[in-house]
Amino acid sequence: MAKRENNLNLQTGSLVTRFFIGVFVAFMAVFILGPLIWLALQAFSTTWTFPNLKPDGWTLVWWKRVFETPSMVEAIRNSFITAPIVVLVSAVICLPAAYAAARYNYLGRRVFLIGMFAANSFPKLGLFASIATLFYTLNLMGTMVGVIIIQLLGTIIYMTWIPAAAFAAVPKNLEEAARDAGASKFRVFRGITLRLAAPGILVAMVMSFISAFDEAQGTYLVGSPEIFTMPTEMYSLVLTYPVQIAAVFSILLAVPSVILIGLARKHIIGGQLAEGFQIK
Amino acid sequence: MSNATHGLELIGLTKILGGRVIIDNLNLTVEKGEMVSLLGPSGCGKTTTLRMIAGFLIPEKGTVNVAGKDVTNLGPEKRPSAMVFQNYALWPHMTVFKNVAYPLKIRKMGKAEIEKRVHEVLEVVNLMHHKDSRPGQISGGEQQRVALARALVQEPDILLLDEPLSNLDAKLRVKVREDIRDLQRRLGITTVIVTHDQDEALSISDRIAVMNEGRIEQFSTPQDLYDQPATEYVANFIGSLNRIEGGYADGQVIPGNEVVGIRPEDVSFSKSQVAGSYPATVELVVPRGHFHEVYLKRADASLRAFVSIDVPKAGDIGFAKVSKALVYKDGKLVRTA
Amino acid sequence: MTTTNTVATKEGFAEVKAAKLSTLGFFMALPPVLVVILFVGLPIFVAFIFSIGYTGGPNRVISIIGQDIYKKDSWWGTADAYLAVVKDPRFLPDFALTMVVTFVSTLVVLTMAMGMGLYQRIKGGKVASVLSMLSLVPLFVPVVIAAYAIAQFYNGVGFMRTFMAQFGIEFPVITATRNAIIIGTIWTSLPFAILMITSGLQSVPNALIETAQDAGASFMRIVRTILIPLAFVPIVIAGTFTAIGIMGSFTVPLFLGPNQPTMLGVEISNFFTAYNRPQQSIVMAFIIFAAASGIAVLYIWANIRSAKQSGRI
Repeated sequence: MAKRENNLNLQTGSLVTRFFIGVFVAFMAVFILGPLIWLALQAFSTTWTFPNLKPDGWTLVWWKRVFETPSMVEAIRNSFITAPIVVLVSAVICLPAAYAAARYNYLGRRVFLIGMFAANSFPKLGLFASIATLFYTLNLMGTMVGVIIIQLLGTIIYMTWIPAAAFAAVPKNLEEAARDAGASKFRVFRGITLRLAAPGILVAMVMSFISAFDEAQGTYLVGSPEIFTMPTEMYSLVLTYPVQIAAVFSILLAVPSVILIGLARKHIIGGQLAEGFQIK
Repeated sequence: MSNATHGLELIGLTKILGGRVIIDNLNLTVEKGEMVSLLGPSGCGKTTTLRMIAGFLIPEKGTVNVAGKDVTNLGPEKRPSAMVFQNYALWPHMTVFKNVAYPLKIRKMGKAEIEKRVHEVLEVVNLMHHKDSRPGQISGGEQQRVALARALVQEPDILLLDEPLSNLDAKLRVKVREDIRDLQRRLGITTVIVTHDQDEALSISDRIAVMNEGRIEQFSTPQDLYDQPATEYVANFIGSLNRIEGGYADGQVIPGNEVVGIRPEDVSFSKSQVAGSYPATVELVVPRGHFHEVYLKRADASLRAFVSIDVPKAGDIGFAKVSKALVYKDGKLVRTA
Repeated sequence: MTTTNTVATKEGFAEVKAAKLSTLGFFMALPPVLVVILFVGLPIFVAFIFSIGYTGGPNRVISIIGQDIYKKDSWWGTADAYLAVVKDPRFLPDFALTMVVTFVSTLVVLTMAMGMGLYQRIKGGKVASVLSMLSLVPLFVPVVIAAYAIAQFYNGVGFMRTFMAQFGIEFPVITATRNAIIIGTIWTSLPFAILMITSGLQSVPNALIETAQDAGASFMRIVRTILIPLAFVPIVIAGTFTAIGIMGSFTVPLFLGPNQPTMLGVEISNFFTAYNRPQQSIVMAFIIFAAASGIAVLYIWANIRSAKQSGRI
């Protein structure tokens, strides 16, 4: 009954308000999408003379060039190796902790949750510089392991907090009902808890993948000049190649994220992400 | 012309939500100081009606008059009505005092005046000792009274209560409903209460509007609704009913194309035959607390009876008498016998 | 949906806190803690003692590679590296720029997020969902692309100038200015703030708003006295995360900002690699951290406040 009467009857529907809302939507569309579309168009243009609204001609030659440049292919390959590994490692390390945070009380629980946050408030670049200092000593500079560790750090906050909130949201009596019906502890976890928390875990994995895939600053500091991923390759592309090449590369770099939006959009907007960021 | 003596007038109210007609040409007049229940199952449109009175919904057609004033196109903030929500809707970040003072603050009242009025109304609902508590720290019944106080402090022309008792446990419910009734009488405030609980409606209201699929089936006093249910729907909804298809004559059911409704309390059983009684067998006896529900088998029909003294046993043979029957044709009451 | 979710979560967590300590839980929670201690806590600690002049042990390699290393000269260390950074003529303009950008961008982001969150909460409908979809786009665009795309959009031959030129208007080149950094940080910070604030506002039940309306409150008054207090924690979280994120940002000011002055995030990288002054780079990181910690305190305070309010403490 309440569902159907969701809209509040606040008087905001005057013509002036509507006009301003229309202008605002248009502004947001240009502000958010404008740069992306403008850049995407470059990927298919021969040259572009100012101040024409259209490029001088259309071409696919830049795409060919990207796939013929070994360093770029290498970067694409590296990105698709590291990001999935990072998500997997992160899930193995963090999901039990997330479950524990939701279901158990343990020594230092609150410190743990706040500590995760504190780690996030140290400036990223300062942290990477600090880590680099340590990695020199540990001989991890310029190695795959070093890159994976760097990317892993950015995913931990997503992989613990979002699933923790999701696990906590599973009503205990659902688990108890299943236990009562004779299911084993593990079976209850697999069949009930995990199933119900799955949207939260999915969002966490998507966010982790995007975070790892897009991580540029730390990967650059630790990985270069031996290991380049797609984002770090962008740093050098921007300086040394024509804008069209960078545009092609940007589109390629955005593809996985765009695919993942489709997968998890409903849950992200549904509040799984936001729910995870409140210390309880 | 609306008559200024009416507390509330709904004229030809129609509401369409999501392409469905929720309220269909509804008319209702409530007198000043009267307490009226909107009673019906969920989905019958009673809450929608209440929300249209409060101004949270604007009707597609029709007029809402409160205390003789047309408020149809006013927003809730401009209407002289105050509503108590089902889950009380107390603001968790404010103390009890601040919750109740909020409407007065909006009216730009002076600090001393606000304090005086809030204290008065908190005395009325007997909550002065909790004035600095937060809603989360007091019981459900107390929260209910805070919500009531917050509505009363506005001195509204009409008080609207949406299922006010449904979140309370059974014992408390009876007590709170007496309190509400008592308060309403004392203050003489026009009140509309939405409920799905017939006991609640019967015990608290001056008149009850029984609603079904967006229409009012019958609007009458509790006694009237019980004795003379105008439609088969009302008869079924209020109290219990033996419903038998056929006709009715000489105290028994005969073949026919009407519907006979017999209240179980109008069926009596005795070992000896009296005028108008017919042979019957007791099939089952179910204890229901202060009375027993007795299932009787008669030649003309199976009947349930409510018996509180001389309760028979299953298998007993005797005579059953029907003292009153309601006869419906096409859902409408045609006669009582 | 959201409402029931929140309630369930809160109850779930509240129950947990009352439970007795669990050893299993402790060990399950350990792995990420270890990772954080090993690769965040330890490096920060080592970096900190490096910044006050401890150059041995894990800092030996970097001390040999780097230039202008200050060694400790008293029992606790030395503040010379900090003094050197503060005295550096580049520092103050950098610091000022960082603070101004952080302040302005956070303010704009919060205002926009509040506006959109409120619109969605009050009105709902198609326009609102289009707006929310739009505002979430940056969440899925790598910062590198975003910064580069924005640079292309506002530079000398970018869209804004091209478009305006059609009407004979000379639109200014924004790239390589402070304003470009602000545009870029707003662009990248918007989705998170909107998600947090929208979900915070959505979790305020309708009835609480309607009662206020019934009591005669105007729209702005409901926002001020009901919606903002009840969504206070998510709003503060949105604010702190946004501010902290902007303060340490690197890619956006690198691509969009002027060379001099620049934001401290970029300067950290410059000092570390280009100028080969790792110690001073670390010192800057700690200066940002100190500022960010101030903001983080706000976040923790907000959380405690909400706990008190609901009677959990």
